[in-house]
Amino acid sequence: MGAFDTLRIAGSSLGVHQTWLDTLAHNIANVNTARSTDQDAFQAQMLITSSRAGGGVEVSGLAKSDPEGRMVHNPSHPLADENGYVRMPEIDMSSQMSQLIMAQRGYQASVQTTKNAQENYASALQIGRA
Amino acid sequence: MSVSGIEALGFTPYVPPVATADPGASVNGTSGFADLVLDGLDRLEAVQNRADSLAVQAATGDLENIHDYTIAASEAAVTTQLTVALRNKAVEAFTEIMRMPL
Repeated sequence: MGAFDTLRIAGSSLGVHQTWLDTLAHNIANVNTARSTDQDAFQAQMLITSSRAGGGVEVSGLAKSDPEGRMVHNPSHPLADENGYVRMPEIDMSSQMSQLIMAQRGYQASVQTTKNAQENYASALQIGRA
Repeated sequence: MSVSGIEALGFTPYVPPVATADPGASVNGTSGFADLVLDGLDRLEAVQNRADSLAVQAATGDLENIHDYTIAASEAAVTTQLTVALRNKAVEAFTEIMRMPL
């Protein structure tokens, strides 16, 4: 345990939430990405995290959503098959937006933790000061 | 002090270091405080170099995460303040001894 563990732990949390925000941005960006029916649909990424032994959190993996997607009838699409279907990704937009808020709040909470840590260090430096 | 509630989570509770008097230190010529200050200066340099390299990465656009830099910068700032506080205490002690009437 070092002197700056609070900062290190909060930093790991900031990193994980940053990655979470990245995956959500990627999913939302590709919500309208169509594929032809003989291909897999775009797979939404889901972050898997685990706690670190010495304190903190880390990304332990990325899960991907169903490659089946959903078939949408859109004959005017250039990728449409002979029946007029394209494969759209299975992404729940409301879930993605809720997760976006959760990731943002988690990031903000970790920033607050680092602020508190800095204030604590500043207080500790006041000890013995005339 | 044992805190069973948090030990279960894998955290080792903070145990304050106990200062023990080393009677041989002054005789051998190795000053504990001077070593402490020199060690602190070395560590300060390492922390500041890390913050500096991250600042360069931020300026060149190579920085992956903004918080990496801000955390390193605040770590460097706190370490600098601690080192300066230690130096001030050392100078204070020195002047106090110099003021001693002989």
